Amino acid sequence: MIQNLLNSRWPQRALQLPWRIIFLVGAIGTFAVVVLYSAAGGSMQPWALNHAVRLSLFMGLAIVLAQVPLGLWLKIAYPLYAVILVALIGVEVVGGIAGGSQRWLDLGFIRLQPSEFMKIAVVLALARFYHFLPRGYPAKLAGIWPPLAMIGVPAALVMLQPDLGTALMIVAGGMTMMFLGGLPLKWFIIPGVAGLASLPLLYNMLHDYQKRRVLIFLDPSADPLGAGYHITQSKIAIGSGGIFGKGFMEGSQSHLQYLPEQHTDFVFATMAEEWGLMGGALLLIAYGLVLNWGIRTGMSARTRFARMLAAGLSMTIFFYVLINSMMVMGLAPVVGIPFPLVSYGGSAALTVMIALGILMGVYRQRELEHI
Amino acid sequence: MALGLARQRLAIGILVFIAFTGLLGFRLIELSLFDGPVQRARPAVANPNIRAEIVDRNGVTLASSFEAYALAARPRDIMGNKEALIAALIRILPERPPEAIRSAIYHDGKFRYITRRILPEQAEAIRRLGEPGLTLEREAERLYPHVGLAAHLVGYTGIDGRGEGGIERAFEQRLTDPAQLEKPLALALDVRVQQALESELKAQMDLQQASGAAGVVMDVHSGEVLALASLPAFDSNRPGGLVGMPSHMNRATLGVYELGSTFKAFTIAMAMDTGVLPRMDERFPTTPIAVGRQRISDSHPKGYPLTVPETLIYSSNVATAKMAERMGRQRQEAFLRQLGMMDRAPGELLETGRPLTPAPNNWGLASVLTIGFGHGIAVTPLHLATAYSALVNGGIYRPATFLKVPEGAERPGRRVFQESTSHALNGMLRLAVLDGTGRQADADGYRVGGKTGTAEKVLEHGRGYDKRRNITTFAGAFPMDNPRYVVIAMVDDPTVGSRMAGSVAGPVFKKVVNRIAPVLGVAPDTSGASEPDIRMFEGLYKPRDPKRDPNAMRRAAAGLPPLEGGVR
Repeated sequence: MIQNLLNSRWPQRALQLPWRIIFLVGAIGTFAVVVLYSAAGGSMQPWALNHAVRLSLFMGLAIVLAQVPLGLWLKIAYPLYAVILVALIGVEVVGGIAGGSQRWLDLGFIRLQPSEFMKIAVVLALARFYHFLPRGYPAKLAGIWPPLAMIGVPAALVMLQPDLGTALMIVAGGMTMMFLGGLPLKWFIIPGVAGLASLPLLYNMLHDYQKRRVLIFLDPSADPLGAGYHITQSKIAIGSGGIFGKGFMEGSQSHLQYLPEQHTDFVFATMAEEWGLMGGALLLIAYGLVLNWGIRTGMSARTRFARMLAAGLSMTIFFYVLINSMMVMGLAPVVGIPFPLVSYGGSAALTVMIALGILMGVYRQRELEHI
Repeated sequence: MALGLARQRLAIGILVFIAFTGLLGFRLIELSLFDGPVQRARPAVANPNIRAEIVDRNGVTLASSFEAYALAARPRDIMGNKEALIAALIRILPERPPEAIRSAIYHDGKFRYITRRILPEQAEAIRRLGEPGLTLEREAERLYPHVGLAAHLVGYTGIDGRGEGGIERAFEQRLTDPAQLEKPLALALDVRVQQALESELKAQMDLQQASGAAGVVMDVHSGEVLALASLPAFDSNRPGGLVGMPSHMNRATLGVYELGSTFKAFTIAMAMDTGVLPRMDERFPTTPIAVGRQRISDSHPKGYPLTVPETLIYSSNVATAKMAERMGRQRQEAFLRQLGMMDRAPGELLETGRPLTPAPNNWGLASVLTIGFGHGIAVTPLHLATAYSALVNGGIYRPATFLKVPEGAERPGRRVFQESTSHALNGMLRLAVLDGTGRQADADGYRVGGKTGTAEKVLEHGRGYDKRRNITTFAGAFPMDNPRYVVIAMVDDPTVGSRMAGSVAGPVFKKVVNRIAPVLGVAPDTSGASEPDIRMFEGLYKPRDPKRDPNAMRRAAAGLPPLEGGVR
């Protein structure tokens, strides 16, 4: 009876899921709820409960997405990209009409940030592009300009919002895909050097507050209570945690509201203050395990689409972790990138969970020879 | 093939991924372990630990605490307009130079004191500014109203409010005991005596460009130290620098010196007490003697054998050496031990010097002889004062004390010398001032007695003595008819003018006595009626000035003819 049940289709599907990773992600989410509970001064309101419910829903969504056949992803890669691009333009138009910058579309029940989904859409679209690109073409102009356009257009639109962090994520994700796709290294080195050389020019194109962020990043003490406040307070919070932290609910930096965005972008500092080096290291190791799994999935996948999709999505999640932790630790300028699944907020969590869902799908279908 | 290429690219990606993760890990470790909690240069003791007052024997405040505030800026946390803040601070702190305030506000760092001492009203005004970048800390401030007076004795407190020298250090527990905070600690010190001693020593030191000076005034009956000076001194309010500085060394209790001929009085007293000197008229030849490699000769050779009083008056090395030889090492050492010369300096201070005496296995005849005239043994001026007190007060040794002895309380002591010996020495010390090397110490009318001591300084490197550099000492007491106070004056290495104790330390002693005797209630008497009774020495010495000689004056008063020729 049980044997029969287990051998029927859906339980088989369920057993195929990477449960270790699901539990690991669940543990990260649980830890996030604990941190948010403490950040609210020992209260499930206003963040912890919402976060728990949201993560559970998104986790369910990810497991559902894991059942989507790879072929379907391949099919809808471009249309999805196009829809989100239109949404991005829509945001610009709506924002222009409303007079002011806007990043989200209010659909009534949920506010969607198209720029968030663009991170995944770019990866999907590029994976598809390279899947069908003949050998030798990645080095040719015909194999270079379409991906560049696919990356550049949404990145420029997001920059207009203006959202430097997300634009950076899109560019980084796209460049990763081009790298994995086989773009000759000289195309990375030459523009890289040129980019470095043109940094002053780029800097001048930034908005004033973005310039200040960069300046403050270089010297947080220049304006410790103004723009440098975030970094200064964040480093104080992490530093005061020491090895084992101040203890649960003991973080003064967060509880006394010194730490800005303690529940969103700087949640890592909130956590590190109370859990110390141990907490920070465990969280990073947990993500390291998840990403390791993601990249291994890519390595073991048989098709180019699956391989690039898995690696690209893993790197997208990695960029979240990397940019956020670098920013919180004072290694990068403050760009509003949340720490995935731990920062309070819907859009980023949804993006990461969708990415995980697709990754699980790839994992399930990694042995497929043809799509 | 493309899939292979992707695989290779992926491997590179993994390396990058690992590298960045490693970077994150290192940064996390760096922040957690090395950035540490915010470090701020705050005083170790932020709570205002008030200390009990220190007062002199008459209740004059030597050290007192009051509560103050320290104002500091955390320039990076200053919210408002810095210029407006500076203007406000200048208005509240008019006594503070504006540049100092400005530089603290614009200081490129986390923390900078603007001032360590502001009044509560000012602190309140600053608090009202509501500037989060300013920090007010309560601090107990220790104030020494007499500035550098008795700096080494009273001591000072460090930046953390703990006693770091003198009484402040020795009585740390007593001074910080919450139960006794209201009760001032009364010292034996008398600021008037202290001031006289310090200013006279300072004047002589400056006059002769000496490297240092020390002095002690002691009550011979109670052992109370009325004054203790060590020069150069420092301002207790701003001790500054390190404890190792020359000005922070207490030369009166910590520095040990060969105090030379001042020891001869002890040798004579020991010899008399042990019975090896039965007669005062016994004559000792003063021809140089050799012991081992050393040659002992007199620095003021008289050319004829000297009686016992003459030995002290003319400060004969040879004669005292012979007396010491008669007494022998055992008894000499026992006496020195009784006089506290084998132990650390007496008294409550923690800065006490340990005397330098010959090693037990090296205390041979040569040592016995040289110690007889005060060489080969180094003690502190406080040792000398305590021993002189025992010598002149009737023979009772009482360790020095820096604390006031309540009126009428008798401090326990031990008998070292017989009363008759003490009495005889009082007479001899008086004669040494009248007729001997201590003439310049004679404070008119105050019947002072005492002994000079000139010792060559030990060479700074190697063995041997520097013939051109002296430690000059005068150890004396007054009034000799009934001694009440011992005064020690020591000048270290006078370089201008005479280098002999009689001309260096002697005048200091005289001036000090002239200034402190009225304060201490010792009445002068120039009639000679109060001179000590020295009939026992009549005819054993030659009065320099018969008109002032106690015996001659007594004979004149009794209508007797002057003693013909005196000695010879």
